[in-house]
Amino acid sequence: MAANPPVETGERPSGWLDQRTRLGPVIRASLHVRIPMSARTYYFGGIALFLFGIQVVTGTLLALYYKPTPEAAYESVQFITSDVSFGWLIRSMHHWAANLMVLFVGLHLVRVFMQAAYKYPRELTWVLGCLLLLVTLGFGFTGYLLPWDQRAYWATVVGTEIAGGVPIVGETLLLLLRGGPDVTGDTMSRFFGIHVLVLPLMLAGLLAAHLLLVHQLGLANPRRPEPRVATPESRQERLRPFFPHYLIDELVAWYVILAILVVLASLFPVGLEGPANPLETPAHTKPEWYYLGVFELLKLVPIKVVGIMIPVVGIGLLVVWPFLDRSPEVLIRRRKVVVGGATLVIIALLALTVLGFVS
Amino acid sequence: MDSEVGTGPLTEGGGPIAEGGGARTRRSFLRWLGGLTIVSTAAMILTPIVGFLIPTSGSRAAGGGKILVGTTAEIPAGAGKVVAMGSKPAIVVSTDQGVNAFSAICTHLGCVVNWNDMIGAIHCPCHDGRFNPTTGAVMSGPPPAPLAPITVSVEGDQIFLTEA
Repeated sequence: MAANPPVETGERPSGWLDQRTRLGPVIRASLHVRIPMSARTYYFGGIALFLFGIQVVTGTLLALYYKPTPEAAYESVQFITSDVSFGWLIRSMHHWAANLMVLFVGLHLVRVFMQAAYKYPRELTWVLGCLLLLVTLGFGFTGYLLPWDQRAYWATVVGTEIAGGVPIVGETLLLLLRGGPDVTGDTMSRFFGIHVLVLPLMLAGLLAAHLLLVHQLGLANPRRPEPRVATPESRQERLRPFFPHYLIDELVAWYVILAILVVLASLFPVGLEGPANPLETPAHTKPEWYYLGVFELLKLVPIKVVGIMIPVVGIGLLVVWPFLDRSPEVLIRRRKVVVGGATLVIIALLALTVLGFVS
Repeated sequence: MDSEVGTGPLTEGGGPIAEGGGARTRRSFLRWLGGLTIVSTAAMILTPIVGFLIPTSGSRAAGGGKILVGTTAEIPAGAGKVVAMGSKPAIVVSTDQGVNAFSAICTHLGCVVNWNDMIGAIHCPCHDGRFNPTTGAVMSGPPPAPLAPITVSVEGDQIFLTEA
């Protein structure tokens, strides 16, 4: 194939690499964008992205020693933790980064919701973000089983049983998740494959699309709605450069998170319970904190299917929310019903989680 | 390629028709054919993938036969014990009315129940569900159904469970 001749842009490739890739304009177009002065992201999304990077690195390292069979998994995790140099640190960082990633994806979602940044023209960015949240939760769920200890095993039994309780598709879903009627080595093979191949590819694709839309549409202004037709007022919006101003702030936030991560991993290294025993559910079995609300809900709601369908419908509503909330208002004081409702949902979720901890 | 493709509305025979005539044009036919190709290709790819993902049947242990699970000395009156029945857990409970056995899988979320001396009942550690030791019926908590009974027989001092 004949190479494309250099485009006459008046801009000459500046360096050795640029001459051979001609990516200079693409990189410049990605970096040199301007964002509204009033935009407040609190760096939640960027931190979630950084934590995903941590997970890719630590997860790849763990996979070099981990053996995904019921006979060998537990011992291989013990070996990583006790014998491999820095094994405890890598494993603990993977654990804590997973928890923080769920937290920051959640905080990012709340921030975007409260600032009404899901409204026109960013509806699809929101939908992609919700899918990213689900993939993140999927990472937590599938990764949890892999140490094959009591906590891992029973959290998976309960989690898949909840999926099995979904009307109509539940039974098939349970079989597909477990690879059979029970949680066995077949389940572990599936979860490992999903955790290290399917979900990372899905997340990378969704993330690329999400970031592309963020780049194309820019950050939302939390003070006024995006005009459908540019107005003189919107053209006078005060802006600041993304690079280097915003990016440096973001990098500082990443360093802070890295420090927190190392401290958490060092002070609270992740442990390991006894090996999985399918004949004995340990007392006070509980899932990871981000599933604790649903777990507690299932205790309180007398009809099981209702308890299962509440979060399912809730997530469905969350995904399509920008298409239901058609009002252009972005200010919190003018969205009292929506913001009040969302606050109540958050309080209820927190209350259920706390109740799950103490019960 | 046919240079006429997409140049204007044509009848099914290929001849031109008036704009907005409603007859199928060559372009709409090709579009339909393209759609059919995409759908059939997707079905061709997805069918083996979905088939591959559905677990093969026969994973459950074959039923039938009596299994020795313990002795009356191990499970005296007022006590209970979780035992393995093939790959499944069962709970054997000894009461004043005799020895009973149930599936030990809680009907709520699949946790394994155990015998609780303090409350004198079968107890689920996940959501505090409680079951009657004689009938397996739900006494309290969120379980939606009683524990499934298992046929139990005592021969001498030996306790046997019979797989369905």
